[in-house]
Amino acid sequence: MVALRKILPASFLAVVLAYLYAPIAVIVIFSFTTSPRLSIPIEGLTLAWYANAFANPLITTALRNSLILAVISAVLSGAMGAAFAFWLVTLKRARLRATLLTASLMPAIVPLLVIGIALAVFFRGVGMQQGLLNAAIGHVLVSLPFVVLTMNARLETFDFSVLEAARDLGATPSRAFRDITFPLIRPSVIGAAMLAAALSLDEFVVTWFNVGNQQTVPVLVWGLMRRGIDPSINAIATVLLSVLVCLVVASNIINRKKVK
Amino acid sequence: MLPAGIFYVVFFAIPMLCLLVLSFWRAKGFELIPDFTLDNYHKIFTSPLYRALMLRTIGVAFTTALIVVPVAFAISYVMRFVFERRGQLILQIILLSLFSGYLVRIYAWRTILGKQGLLNSTLQWLGIIEQPLEFLIYSNIAVVITLSGLLLPLAVLPLYSAMLNVSRDYIEAARDLGAGKLHTLRTVLVPMVIPGLRTAFAFAFLLSAGDFVTPALVGGSQSMLIGNIVADQFRGIGSNWPLGAGMAFVVVAVMLLAYLTVMRLIRWITRW
Repeated sequence: MVALRKILPASFLAVVLAYLYAPIAVIVIFSFTTSPRLSIPIEGLTLAWYANAFANPLITTALRNSLILAVISAVLSGAMGAAFAFWLVTLKRARLRATLLTASLMPAIVPLLVIGIALAVFFRGVGMQQGLLNAAIGHVLVSLPFVVLTMNARLETFDFSVLEAARDLGATPSRAFRDITFPLIRPSVIGAAMLAAALSLDEFVVTWFNVGNQQTVPVLVWGLMRRGIDPSINAIATVLLSVLVCLVVASNIINRKKVK
Repeated sequence: MLPAGIFYVVFFAIPMLCLLVLSFWRAKGFELIPDFTLDNYHKIFTSPLYRALMLRTIGVAFTTALIVVPVAFAISYVMRFVFERRGQLILQIILLSLFSGYLVRIYAWRTILGKQGLLNSTLQWLGIIEQPLEFLIYSNIAVVITLSGLLLPLAVLPLYSAMLNVSRDYIEAARDLGAGKLHTLRTVLVPMVIPGLRTAFAFAFLLSAGDFVTPALVGGSQSMLIGNIVADQFRGIGSNWPLGAGMAFVVVAVMLLAYLTVMRLIRWITRW
């Protein structure tokens, strides 16, 4: 009886998950099929699109640039976001804390289009040529809110009495941070930094307005998409997808280890 | 806190101000000329093209929100009250789709809905249709289908966390007192998750209005949204940065106004 009662909700859930994952499944499956068109029935399997994709001379540059941006975002957003979240939880006044948390989430609520063009205007105003550095700043900005949010959720369970104990025993603030605080929050910081890397690898809108003539993987993919259906897009997308999924799942697993 | 604080001010607050200031400037070719003119705003409010695009954007965003919010509500209900112990796992699976390739998912819908795409070729192969269904791609329908898929995970997040705070006892008490299923939903559950509903609606409505990639890839020339025009002012032929800056502020203001109106209307009708 119980199982029967759950059939309807379970099938609803299945339909919604299919709706969310069908596009992803389509891309992965058709990156391996011989027909250049996505059609049923499938004719045969091949790895040619991967070879094709990686023969594109632009892909190496795009990959290198994307990796540079991801590392910068992970390190800078991870460090700044973690420090900010840590400072936030030590604030005594609850109202101020809530206001600052909301303010720090603003870049995630404002449409990316607006952030992208605002940064482009700003960089033009200060005379900074469009390029990778501008894009890197944009990536750090859009990933910071997510780092602050995940760090904040983890730090709410942080036991500050261990810090007081260290201080009472004569540890300087920097020593207490190095020997007590950082080892305790390290898993969360690494998890948040991996999330920032994933966001950066996938970032297109802000990048597009600020990167100038440089390539990143999403910018390259956009260029190919605008030209029409090209099966090597499926291959590049599948590689990007696998990296993103690995990063996000790993970030989740690391983050789930409790801050003791 | 200092580094992040400075970073936010220099690279977020100041650029926003720059954008606002620029919207009162003029463009002459590629030159930006400092000025204090309302010409850009005048142009935006008097052009029939921009007005039509704005109305279409509101329509598409509203339709998307009308699909996304009820589905997200039902999914959150199932996660919270039916598969209670698996709730967190299901949430992780739903959120994972959010991080799996923004451009890729939009492009995938083009290959699914296209004239010779997966859906049409499957239906033809099965003999259900003779001619491909052409309204599926390069249309407002394609834009709504794609945007709904992109924004659904974002709407589930606030609704599910709102429902986590609703104790099963309240629902059961209402049922024990003789309230029917629909009556319980309307008078107990929905009023208790109103903040979550509001956030979910805001995400779906405001973010679909700001998306220009979806209409560019799956929408046709007849389903461009206001975001496409804004983007063109910054990276297109004949771009005009001051005009684009003005448009960005008008879009955000109009969408906020539309959002607040809808919220007020709902409150007025339902008295929640």
